[in-house]
Amino acid sequence: MIDEQRLKLLTEGAKYDVSCSSSGSKRKNTGGMGNGYAAGCCHSFTPDGRCISLLKILMSNDCVYNCKYCPNRLDADVPRVSATPEEVAELTIDFYKRNYIEGLFLSSAVEKSPNYTMEKLVRTVKLLRTQYRFHGYIHLKGIPRADEALIHEAAKYADRMSYNIELPSERSLKLLAPQKSKESLLLPMKKLAEDRAVFREEKRKGLFLPAGQTTQMIIGASPEKDSQIVRLTQSLYRSMGLKRVYYSSYVPVVHDSLLPDLPAGQLREHRLYQADWLLRFYGFTAEEIAPENENLPLDLDPKCAWALRNMQLFPVEVNHAPLELLLRVPGIGGRSAQKILQARKYTNLTFEHLQKMRVVLKRARHFITANGKFYGAKSETAVRGYLTAGENSENSRQLSLFSDTETALSALTGEL
Amino acid sequence: MIYLTDGTKECFLTAFLYAFSDENALISSSQTQLALGQESVFVAADAAKAKKTEARLLSFDKDCMNDLFYLLRSGRNDREQIAFRYLKLLTEKKMPVREMAEDASIAANECIRKVTYEIHRMHGFVRFLESASGALYAPLSPDNDIVDLLTPHFRARLPEFPFVLHDVKRKKAAVYDGKNSFLAPLESAEIVLSADEQRWQSLWQRYYQSVNIPQRERLKQMKGYMPVRYWKHMPEFHATDPLST
Repeated sequence: MIDEQRLKLLTEGAKYDVSCSSSGSKRKNTGGMGNGYAAGCCHSFTPDGRCISLLKILMSNDCVYNCKYCPNRLDADVPRVSATPEEVAELTIDFYKRNYIEGLFLSSAVEKSPNYTMEKLVRTVKLLRTQYRFHGYIHLKGIPRADEALIHEAAKYADRMSYNIELPSERSLKLLAPQKSKESLLLPMKKLAEDRAVFREEKRKGLFLPAGQTTQMIIGASPEKDSQIVRLTQSLYRSMGLKRVYYSSYVPVVHDSLLPDLPAGQLREHRLYQADWLLRFYGFTAEEIAPENENLPLDLDPKCAWALRNMQLFPVEVNHAPLELLLRVPGIGGRSAQKILQARKYTNLTFEHLQKMRVVLKRARHFITANGKFYGAKSETAVRGYLTAGENSENSRQLSLFSDTETALSALTGEL
Repeated sequence: MIYLTDGTKECFLTAFLYAFSDENALISSSQTQLALGQESVFVAADAAKAKKTEARLLSFDKDCMNDLFYLLRSGRNDREQIAFRYLKLLTEKKMPVREMAEDASIAANECIRKVTYEIHRMHGFVRFLESASGALYAPLSPDNDIVDLLTPHFRARLPEFPFVLHDVKRKKAAVYDGKNSFLAPLESAEIVLSADEQRWQSLWQRYYQSVNIPQRERLKQMKGYMPVRYWKHMPEFHATDPLST
């Protein structure tokens, strides 16, 4: 059994990794313990509002790399500890059995060498799958510059793998993470995506990354604009087939002349997640959401900002507008849009109906008519005023407390 | 007239037949909710009447008994009344009303969603204690009467472990003995914990404390996702830890 002190250090080293999602895998129980839960499942929530779905720990925090932003970098003065594959497997099984967790998210500092580290990760996941007959969720971090064969082996046992892009441009990566390179991160991602496609096409036995790949980048440690980040995100979804791109706003745990002293705003991170949602679920393109060389506005959510740039499209009549257009109305999300589509089959919807159906009209009223009636502001300037006024009070609250349920999507990551 | 049922589906469907033609009818299984001055009558379940009602309702909407199933699992005192209004609307419209923007449909949908959402939540929030025999025991007090509806999920993932899901509020337990599952009344349970149980709980508490980022506190959000009433059966909130900072 692992001791509390090492568990503490190995957890603290892993906790800045945002991804905690346990969705996307339907792995079956074929004897032994565990299965996949395709929708994902949150087991607890910590006071920072994030969900605990997976046991998220490092195999080791003893790193030979010296990435400037990382609390575990070679130069850092922190106690160095490691766990064995046996310890991690046992911990996973005993937590899982008690329903504390949905599975394991195993990452590691580069201990000794990339291959040494990756081998340890692979050994752990194999131990869990074969010896313990564990069929719960496993997310493995890919170690850059580890052998292709090792990575391929890992993918046969894991549900999901991820390489963290870390920074949104090659230049920043060179500057802040000199031992990693664009190629060392992107090439294995590409290879895994291809291997997965081949595996599926040939209908081979077993599973190969049923929940796909994700990545993460740090926001605000380097100078890239949001427009660049959103475009990069879009191309990762399109060309790499990633399931999720996570953002982590920079927290200065390390002082370095190359790094900003101030943390990047949580609000900026939040806006990027909103943009990410628009890309994945609302049919928007990066070009629509984020004009070239600009940051996303902080005082408006990206859908409102887009709508204000495209006022000629509004208002739309809720009784006739197609789903694609309803989804573009500020304040109307997937669930509301569905409810509207269903209910309007039976009656001509009025604002009273929408209210009863709990469609949030605070923003939407400026962009829709219901049964011909319009209750929004008359001029574009007034609309902008209403939208930013509401946002400002929300944001000031959010900035001081970070406690607004509605505006904090990041904790939903366990579910989506 | 208030039609009092024993809480079962059969009794509800019998009461439905009586209440249907009564303008001011209320159906309830809870006697604490009685309005003063209103007459009430106890309804005895009648299999033939219930069957007749069910057949008629199903002829309008083949999925409506599924809705009724979840509605009657709700912990709300007015669950029978919500179901009554919803199914009455169904008989009036003579077609599925689930998606309509009608008060009765919206109320029923919201009530059903609360039940199914709690089932999903409980899949995550249930905490098993390991007993000395290796069987798992979880005390819980859900808002809705769902404890047996959790069994299939845990049975599928822990097929080799007998377990007991104990609804301590309703004093009953969903039991899986390693082969079969069943529902049984259970007042209280004395559990002899396994030798390592306390140490695994401590490790879990340590993990819970370490994975939090204190600089990003968002308590309101945390409690939105995991309401405080669920905390009492979760060991991560039982910690009194000398090492915690």
